[in-house]
Amino acid sequence: MNRDYSDSTRTKIAEILKRYPNKEAALLPVLQLTRREFGSIGEEEEKRVAVLIGISPLRVREAVTFYSMLNRKPLGKYHIQICSNLSCSLMGAENLIAFLSEKLGIQPGETTPDRKFTLSTVECLGACEQAPCMMINDDYFGYLDPKKIDEILSRLS
Amino acid sequence: MINIDINGRILEVEPGTTILQAAQAAGISIPHLCYHEAFPPEGSCRMCLVQIEGYPKLELACSTQVKEGMKIMTESRVVNVARKSVLEFLLTEHPPDCPICDKAGECKLQDYFEEYGLFDSRYAEPKSRKQKKIEIGSNLLLDQERCILCTRCVRFLKHVTETGELGVLERGIQAEINIYPGNPVSNNYSGNLTEICPVGAITDRDFRFRTRAWFLEEKPSICPFCSRGCAITIAYHPGFARFDLPQRVYRIKARKNPNVNGNWICDIGRYGYPYMDNDRALEIRFPEFAGKTDWPQAVEIITENIMRLVHMKRTERIAVAASTFLSNEELYLIRKIFREDLGISNIYFVDPSEGSGDDLLLTSERTPNRRGAVELGFALDPPPAEGFKENIELLFVFGNGINEKVETALVQRIASIKMKFLFTAHKSSSADHFDGILPVSLVAEKSGSLTNSEGIVQSFVPALDPPGDSRPLWSILTELGRKMAIDFKTYRGYSDTTDILREISREIQFFRK
Amino acid sequence: MKKVDEKILTRDFGVENSHTLDVYRKQGGYEALSKALKKLKPEDILSEVKAAHLRGRGGAGFPAGMKWDFIPKDSEKPRYLCVNADEGEPGTFKDRYIMSHAPHLLIEGILLTCYCVGIKTAFIYIRGEYENVARRLESALEEAREAGLCGKAILGSDFECDMIVHRGAGAYICGEETALLESLEGKRGNPRLKPPFPAAVGLFQCPTVINNVETLSNIPSIVLQGGKWFSSRGIQEDGGTRIFGVSGFVAKPGIYELPVGTPLKDIIFTHAGGMLEGKTLKAVIPGGMSAPVLKADEIDVTMDCHCMLEADSMLGSSAVIVIDQDTSMLDVLRIMIKFYSHESCGQCTPCRIGTSWIYKIVQRMCRGKGRREEIDEISRLASNILGKTLCPMGDAAAMPILSIVAKFRGELEETIVERSQKAKIQ
Repeated sequence: MNRDYSDSTRTKIAEILKRYPNKEAALLPVLQLTRREFGSIGEEEEKRVAVLIGISPLRVREAVTFYSMLNRKPLGKYHIQICSNLSCSLMGAENLIAFLSEKLGIQPGETTPDRKFTLSTVECLGACEQAPCMMINDDYFGYLDPKKIDEILSRLS
Repeated sequence: MINIDINGRILEVEPGTTILQAAQAAGISIPHLCYHEAFPPEGSCRMCLVQIEGYPKLELACSTQVKEGMKIMTESRVVNVARKSVLEFLLTEHPPDCPICDKAGECKLQDYFEEYGLFDSRYAEPKSRKQKKIEIGSNLLLDQERCILCTRCVRFLKHVTETGELGVLERGIQAEINIYPGNPVSNNYSGNLTEICPVGAITDRDFRFRTRAWFLEEKPSICPFCSRGCAITIAYHPGFARFDLPQRVYRIKARKNPNVNGNWICDIGRYGYPYMDNDRALEIRFPEFAGKTDWPQAVEIITENIMRLVHMKRTERIAVAASTFLSNEELYLIRKIFREDLGISNIYFVDPSEGSGDDLLLTSERTPNRRGAVELGFALDPPPAEGFKENIELLFVFGNGINEKVETALVQRIASIKMKFLFTAHKSSSADHFDGILPVSLVAEKSGSLTNSEGIVQSFVPALDPPGDSRPLWSILTELGRKMAIDFKTYRGYSDTTDILREISREIQFFRK
Repeated sequence: MKKVDEKILTRDFGVENSHTLDVYRKQGGYEALSKALKKLKPEDILSEVKAAHLRGRGGAGFPAGMKWDFIPKDSEKPRYLCVNADEGEPGTFKDRYIMSHAPHLLIEGILLTCYCVGIKTAFIYIRGEYENVARRLESALEEAREAGLCGKAILGSDFECDMIVHRGAGAYICGEETALLESLEGKRGNPRLKPPFPAAVGLFQCPTVINNVETLSNIPSIVLQGGKWFSSRGIQEDGGTRIFGVSGFVAKPGIYELPVGTPLKDIIFTHAGGMLEGKTLKAVIPGGMSAPVLKADEIDVTMDCHCMLEADSMLGSSAVIVIDQDTSMLDVLRIMIKFYSHESCGQCTPCRIGTSWIYKIVQRMCRGKGRREEIDEISRLASNILGKTLCPMGDAAAMPILSIVAKFRGELEETIVERSQKAKIQ
């Protein structure tokens, strides 16, 4: 598992490290890039980032375990994050969570056996006018109902 | 100066003082968990909330600086409700481990619950389960369920040792303290963590399940493992009426001394205490004389051997190997008896080799009184490498009481000496080479003074009784001095070590401060 | 034009490619910056902002001019501006619109603020979930830099300022200003003790101003048209317009820019189209989930900081969540406390343990294993959190819960009994 950053990511990281008055401030942006590059932030990635920033791996792990988006275990190709907060729940999110669960055959927190989908419930995404909504990787989808969800998922290869 | 009112008492304090500091100075106690005087205030436990007149909310005593005219109440109804609520919150997630927890009896949660709580639990939910025995260091165990997340341990490793081996992981109710796998707490001050942990989350392995805190008595002493001379507290078990215990000392704690060691001690001093109970020399042994010898007889024999050479005017045949483990008073007596009264110059020092010091407390000198020996006028020469001079027939070895370095270093070179006496606290494999073993007591078992590397002279009194037949070296030497009758009057005047120290300060400028 | 129709922030949202520099300039963009650099001194801008009575739009409602004034005049340290684009308050989505449709409005607002306060570097702390919005911001920044509007020698003057888009990584608490600073510095988002305040000791220990996206987006119009004009768009001591985000059981959920002081009833029934067919109003959360709830008969209020405080609620992030009769307030309670217990940073005792305890009780009640008397327990615990925590999130958790318990006690009790009967049968 000794993959390294791609060249373009390396360049981005180098640029990010220069932006801040001190290197530690670059930790979160670098962790976000690392997550995108490797899919998750495990012990190896923690140590890698620690060296880049110049802090101990423990400090990296302290940050990784604090922030919800920095997943430590690998996810499926599509991370379906469905909002379970107030406006979305008012508009039926809990039924949609059950629907998705059944459709994919997994519980929130789990990944399908073919590693295509991971299902998570998340807190407010900031798109309450489109409730109920979900985020798949970086993209928001709102005004959901079972039919729309079916449509969206069928378009994902 | 600022005037404030705490519970009706008017106090005058320096600007910049916090309410907690002002209260502590006035003897008013405000409960607190995460605050520690050695680090900046954290403000996370919320235990120290107090009421200030004119302020809409309760404020933290640990971090709120006093202002002129502030009127503070530390015991009002709202304050007590707030305190109880913090205790209640902490206790809901705290495991009911008291019956098996080593911290029982000195646990802040227990103490505060007794003082401010005493309520029944209203928690009807399952408690969070976490790991209960994580080896976070060679001597330390972490129980995450007991942890109240005061983060004193994390901050100690951040501000004091600057090694940062502990951190807070996860978020919210899942927050826990842990090390990074493969990076345990491995600095020389790790033992302080068990002391600063207010509860039984971080505990010492060597104290685990050994005894209960309330069985132990505590007395102050000075650590003899290096020349810092840290103030320590010796916690010992006085024994039970009906049966003996295999050990007396169960642990060493740091004792605060702002001039020497601040709030801390290092692990060498903290965990080195087994030397006080293990392998002690308990009997006076003169192999030539079968059966037990007593002190009068032993002193008699030694005096005889010395006086024989005195009468022959052959005192140059006497040699002394001492160590800077000895107290100021003992070194002074050695100087007085051997150098001045007997006029010998063959006084050598054998000390353990230097170790590495650190930036905090540990010095490179592994004995407590090198500076004292220097100020008392000793040159600290080691015995000549080729061996003692041919004509030496009487040798006194004053062992350093910690290890056998002195004796083993000398053993090869002393075979030819006719009479050899060893004064030591511990059984020694080289003991058989000596014609007399005289058991002496340790720093913890006598009174006296030591001079640390910075030149601070610290007096100490016994914490423990000398075991077996052992006795303080200074009292043996005093008796010797009297018996030799070269300067009877002076030696008769030494009834305790303070007399000796007084004379030292009269004679030597350095000790006058 | 009716005052209610005059848009300051959302005026050009409907224009195609409103997010590009070209379109923004065509609509009059960066004129304020030009005016400021050519004709105004920093003190001039400060006095206009004060006269505008611009209050913070992130939740706390603190007057912006006053906040900028707290920066110490004599410090040698560099000053920083942190733009709070974390938008985590449930129900809130207005800043997403501003940054997506008018990123240059925000950029211009940032530049003007930096010119006024003497700041060379601004950080836009944007929540990690807004990745696509962040990319749009970064493109806009590139455009601005290329056009000499950002960076060194802006518009040929000796004013120098640049900004960095900094993504968060999923933590509501990082919307709290001191937690934001900690997060920006590369640490866990643990709020700091105040004092010292960020104006004195902020980012990297330097004097720092932290403002919400919407707050800063108002600065260009204040500079162009004056503080007095801005103040007159709103009400006394609370000037301008606000973007109200309406969600829940309304016919037209979305953003509505309206003058400060607009009646809540108008927002729900006139602008957002009223209740969905077949739905009756039961409760309204007026300012984001942390604002105490209002019953259907309590919505005769105007949306400004003062009136909302008088009504024992708060204007907060002006996010209006409309709840109907068929929604169980016990479920609302559960969703609320679930959020706060998940988002608690864990530093201080009452919030870390209290929110989780309340959540466990409410979950149990929803599963049918609770008792009516335990509602008092919830109140007691919430009261033990209120006012006793290190940061305002404790209050944000406690106040809405206390308001629901106080105002919907009867319904909560009924629901608890109902569900436990149901559970017994099953």
